[in-house]
Amino acid sequence: MNIAPVDLSIIIGYFVILFIIGYFVKRKIHGLNDYFLAGRRLTLPIFVATLVSTWYGGLLGVGEMSFSYGFVNWIVNGFFWYLVYLFFAFFLAKKIRKSNLYTIPDQLERFYDNRSRFLGAIFNFIMVSPAPYILSLGIIFNFLFGVELWITILLVAFVMVFYTIRGGFVGVVYTDVIQFVLMMIGVAMILPIAIYTYGGFDFLQSALSNPELSLGYIDTTRHLTLTGTQTTQWIIIWGFIAFWTLADPGFYQRCYAAKDDKIPKKGILLSIGFWILFDICTTFTGIYAVAASQAGLLEVESALTSYLSIAGALLPPALLGLFLTGLIATVMSTADSFTFLGAMNISHDLYKKVFRKNATDAQVIKMTKIGILISVAFAVVLSLFFDSVVDMWYYIGTIGISAMIVPILFGFFYKGKKSPLAAILSMSMGSLTALFWVTHGFLNAEYGWPVYIGGIEPLYPGLLVSLLVFVFVNIIHVRRMK
Amino acid sequence: MDLAYLLIIDAFGLMFATSILVYFFLKDILKERKRKD
Repeated sequence: MNIAPVDLSIIIGYFVILFIIGYFVKRKIHGLNDYFLAGRRLTLPIFVATLVSTWYGGLLGVGEMSFSYGFVNWIVNGFFWYLVYLFFAFFLAKKIRKSNLYTIPDQLERFYDNRSRFLGAIFNFIMVSPAPYILSLGIIFNFLFGVELWITILLVAFVMVFYTIRGGFVGVVYTDVIQFVLMMIGVAMILPIAIYTYGGFDFLQSALSNPELSLGYIDTTRHLTLTGTQTTQWIIIWGFIAFWTLADPGFYQRCYAAKDDKIPKKGILLSIGFWILFDICTTFTGIYAVAASQAGLLEVESALTSYLSIAGALLPPALLGLFLTGLIATVMSTADSFTFLGAMNISHDLYKKVFRKNATDAQVIKMTKIGILISVAFAVVLSLFFDSVVDMWYYIGTIGISAMIVPILFGFFYKGKKSPLAAILSMSMGSLTALFWVTHGFLNAEYGWPVYIGGIEPLYPGLLVSLLVFVFVNIIHVRRMK
Repeated sequence: MDLAYLLIIDAFGLMFATSILVYFFLKDILKERKRKD
């Protein structure tokens, strides 16, 4: 891809700003509460900026899905999620802020016991692995500059580690505000230009109606319908993955860090507005990319890099730099937050609460810095193994949700006596079932695609087993406890 | 009306909403500064 010097300067300028923020923000940190939760002082605009930008990290994956499947991307990566966000805003946000805790494993300990915290921390660590995002950034830089993937992955990891270690959560949220602005402008400007260049809906309809796409393996004839060519089961399973929100450490962390207990609800509702506008832009940019490719107006290397191709073709210098920076910022803001959350699992949930209960604040902060390095190292190794961002999301999501959702929801909403053993067994059996299902599917793969038992996706048995085990063990164990 | 107009409104709406958020963010910062002074 041809990058003009002005575009390169914008990208470099962005990284310099991140370094500067990371360097200076350290002054704002006066203790553990500042380092972990920015002193619980997040105002509404910062809450929205950091939540929207952190939550939205998989721009390349969304590009891949919009390009390959069309409008159904908005349903599975947008609509289902808005419903769960609304539930979170109305029924959980205030409760979480009022609990004054730090992490989801803290909640598990409050609901159950210390062992549930321990297990929860491990699943949390897996769920917040920044691997898919580090891989995305590696792919972007590899595409832009042609540098080897592993080198780009390491470079990105280095920048992120610098400002996250120095600035803690304060560094994360301040960089998020800049990244929020860049991602919104970057994504919003490309769609009007695509419409101006290629044409309106008539263009989309006529270009997508040709069943033989130049890429050869995508049927685009139903790209503008609600469900596309996807099966109902496929759509519903993505709907279930939206439940991830209910156990998402990023959501919880921002609720804990809000200035008062009204901000989380208001902030999530405002964020939903941003997500709706943003998701429509991203979905239709992907659809324009596939339509233009279909019409022979655009050369696309792969579905995953379709946003980069359409941006390269449509945007003049400077605007291209802005778009690319927005794209990088979208991914970077999630990668840094997840890295920090993983580090908190190590330092707060395991080191301080399980292994060394009398650790001082300074020791916990030091351990968080080591945790950042561990979290990034784990992610780098993982991202070198997978080559699809969507696959990685899917498997991490399936196993993590199967473990966490049931004990968390029972914890918040079940008023009766709760058994810690039920939580532990529910987490272990749910995730093991999902893992077994995934492994079995891969061992019996056909043409490289996993074939699951009875054609059932692994999340269903995972959640079902987790729920049944929880209910069954809770009834028996609570009786015995009495 | 071509549905593409709605997409254009969506994109500009996103930019507008972002600028309002940034305005309130800066206003909060200035207020905080004044309070400290």
